[in-house]
Amino acid sequence: MHEYSIACEIFEQVIATAKAHRASEVKSLTLVMGRLTHTNPEQLKFCFEVLAEGSIAEGAEFIVEMLSPSVECECGYQGRAEPPGHPTDQSGEDIGEDRSENGNESGARNRNESGAEAELHQSELLEYVAALNCPTCGKAARITGGQELIIKTIDIETEDES
Amino acid sequence: MLMHVINVGHDVFKANDKIADKNRKNLDRHGVLAVNIMGAIGSGKTTLIEEAIKALKDKYRIAVIAGDVIAEMDASRFRKLDVPTVPANTGKECHLDAKLVEKALKEINLKNTDLLIIENVGNLICPVDFKLGEHLRIVAVSVTEGDDIILKHPMIFKTAELAVINKVDLAAAVDVDPEKMVSDIQALNPEVPILLTSKHSRESLDVWVGAIEAGLESR
Repeated sequence: MHEYSIACEIFEQVIATAKAHRASEVKSLTLVMGRLTHTNPEQLKFCFEVLAEGSIAEGAEFIVEMLSPSVECECGYQGRAEPPGHPTDQSGEDIGEDRSENGNESGARNRNESGAEAELHQSELLEYVAALNCPTCGKAARITGGQELIIKTIDIETEDES
Repeated sequence: MLMHVINVGHDVFKANDKIADKNRKNLDRHGVLAVNIMGAIGSGKTTLIEEAIKALKDKYRIAVIAGDVIAEMDASRFRKLDVPTVPANTGKECHLDAKLVEKALKEINLKNTDLLIIENVGNLICPVDFKLGEHLRIVAVSVTEGDDIILKHPMIFKTAELAVINKVDLAAAVDVDPEKMVSDIQALNPEVPILLTSKHSRESLDVWVGAIEAGLESR
């Protein structure tokens, strides 16, 4: 359980960035979390909320966008690796594309389903790890993405333009 | 009142990775091989390290970073073997991170070190997300944790560079088939070398020591 220390770092970064932009309030923050990290979005949110009490980030909406793993294989395959038939695997066709780059569709969905998404993240880690073999040739592929935890954006409010 | 969206783009784990890279460069500059020994609580990490120290200390200069919530217990075991040991207390944290290792490295004379053994906190989950700057990621489990331990913690086995299944002499007593554990690791990570060890089998310990020594010789 290392969510608290990660939440501390997120909190410090958010406050520092917000103050540098003369924010009076942080309305929301958006994180991108790789599915292969051992971080629980719900616990992280709870820790952040506790830390943010009494600060300009108190009550900020905590949004987590989940990012599926990507792999690189010696056969030349580069792209996402997702368990077949997984709900986030929208169609078989775009498997080579990194949807995470725009990440908007999944992000929007996760906004409303963060609880369910957190549970999905936990229960399906094994499924994701098992899917890390190359979808083209079946060999064990090198992980190139899915282990990150990025503070993507914060929405802030400022008193005036000065 | 004005609303702004600010791009931050700060990766929490990359911040750790950057310090890990610095540690790695520092180790490389001094020609030190660093091994990160991760594993379950009670899997025998400390005993395996003691065996490696005993077998290698006359040939190589060894230092140890003992990471634990309270690190002094293990650290005193290593000091008895006359190797410089730095306890790295993680306090309430469940893993070592690059910053703790960076701090510990300041207390080690790297110029006089060939092998740095880093014992991570007993945990198969949290250490995965935190690189330390090590050259070799080793994971140790024992049969007494049950033969489903690997499937329950896939990422540590997926990312390990050497896997040890320890206490195999107890397998029958705890009704575990070590071969199932081997095939579970192979399914996740087909190329990783897997060692079956027991503190009561000198032969198995020689293989374990040999794996570390091979790392030292390929520096």
